[in-house]
Amino acid sequence: MIVVEDVHKRYTTRHGVGDWVLRGINLIIPTGRSVGLVGSNGAGKSTLLRIIGGADYPTRGRVERCCRVSWPMANGGLEGTLTGRQNAKFVCRIHGFQNELPERIARIEAFAELGAAFDKPVQTYSSGMRSRLQFALSLAFDFDVYISDEVTAAGDAAFRKKAELAFKNLANTASIIMVAHSDSTLKAFCESGILLRNGKATWYDKLDDALVAYKEGLQ
Amino acid sequence: MNSPFINTLTVWQALFLREALDRFFGSRAAWGWLLAEPSMHIGFIGGIWGAMRRNSMGGINVSMWIILGMLSFFLFRRTAVQTLHALDCNRAFFAFRQVRPFDVALVRGGVEAFSMFFIFLFILGAAAMLGLDVLPEDLLTALLALVGLWLFGLGYGLITSVGMRLVPDSGHIFQILMLPLYLISGVIMPLTMVPAAYRGWLLWNPLVHGLELVRLGFFRNYHTLDVSMAYLYAWVLGSLFLGMALYRGLETRLVTQ
Repeated sequence: MIVVEDVHKRYTTRHGVGDWVLRGINLIIPTGRSVGLVGSNGAGKSTLLRIIGGADYPTRGRVERCCRVSWPMANGGLEGTLTGRQNAKFVCRIHGFQNELPERIARIEAFAELGAAFDKPVQTYSSGMRSRLQFALSLAFDFDVYISDEVTAAGDAAFRKKAELAFKNLANTASIIMVAHSDSTLKAFCESGILLRNGKATWYDKLDDALVAYKEGLQ
Repeated sequence: MNSPFINTLTVWQALFLREALDRFFGSRAAWGWLLAEPSMHIGFIGGIWGAMRRNSMGGINVSMWIILGMLSFFLFRRTAVQTLHALDCNRAFFAFRQVRPFDVALVRGGVEAFSMFFIFLFILGAAAMLGLDVLPEDLLTALLALVGLWLFGLGYGLITSVGMRLVPDSGHIFQILMLPLYLISGVIMPLTMVPAAYRGWLLWNPLVHGLELVRLGFFRNYHTLDVSMAYLYAWVLGSLFLGMALYRGLETRLVTQ
């Protein structure tokens, strides 16, 4: 279970304090239920995911993670100058698996199917290749909740199918919280939905209801 | 679930391996350049003093005087500059909630201490083979002064890295500052050559205290100004406190991508 309590967020940059992106989000996300985040560009979906994953902090409010939550899989998390393999080793090590490094790396390499590119710097990867690596990396560890920001959406059709299948096998033990701009990806992975609008979140038990509410809001 | 302490150690270990690999093998013979840079400075400055027929400095051999000052200064400078760039070189890893900005800065400073340790051994070893007297007479003073210089470099790096994150252009200034520091810290020219009236000003610089204490640690009879370990460590404590406070207070802004 992940409890999000009265989370507010605004960014301070060199241009001063920005507007509120999130204005009081209250959610209880149960484990074992996959959730899709819907909302327009700039609605704060990625920000909320980063805060849930603990990579960023709310300006006000708090998040309590009562289960093992993955890092937010997005374009961060991979250091461009290192190769795919070096990144994978680093991620295995910070999760405390330095003793079983070879097996984990082999699993990641096999799942990502990057071929020779696995030993090339990540900055030479296409966005699809980065996504493959990201997804393979997070599947190498047992989390209760996986957080994915567009990562599952970026791969090609074959990889999306494979990711979906791998994820279905985990369905009994794990769930996913994801952002994706295509309805079909969301439907393939998620049962419930959260609609973000004007910095507030609404929970929908059925993803379809969230999508309908989102589209109605656009008109 | 591991304990937070074990988690932190695991992260430091992983960061250390990542940073060390980059530092020593990131480009062709990167480790060779790390060793060559201070060696060339020592050779060049040594050549100049040699041409001037100077063979002792404050009562100690001029080569040892230069070697000790140069290596100590490099220990400070490299730690400071590496820590300065800790945040921008590892920003991607802040996606993992167990990797926080301070871990990255500390480990990067640690890699520099590790590399300078071997450079010290190598250069002092080479000096010993050339017949110089390289064994410290007061090891504790020398070590304390070196640790102080490293910690001050870390503190300086912590503060300046936050400064650079908030005002990116300030990075240039922090790097340019290193040149005057090199000239006024007693690395290439002894401070006793400065007219007495102005020495008091130069003694405000904590690096002078650090460098002279290292030399005093190696040679008890070295003649120098009135330097103090307490003054060096006052700067260490002050800079570390300010640096850590900035990291703690501004962490939200440091992890933003």
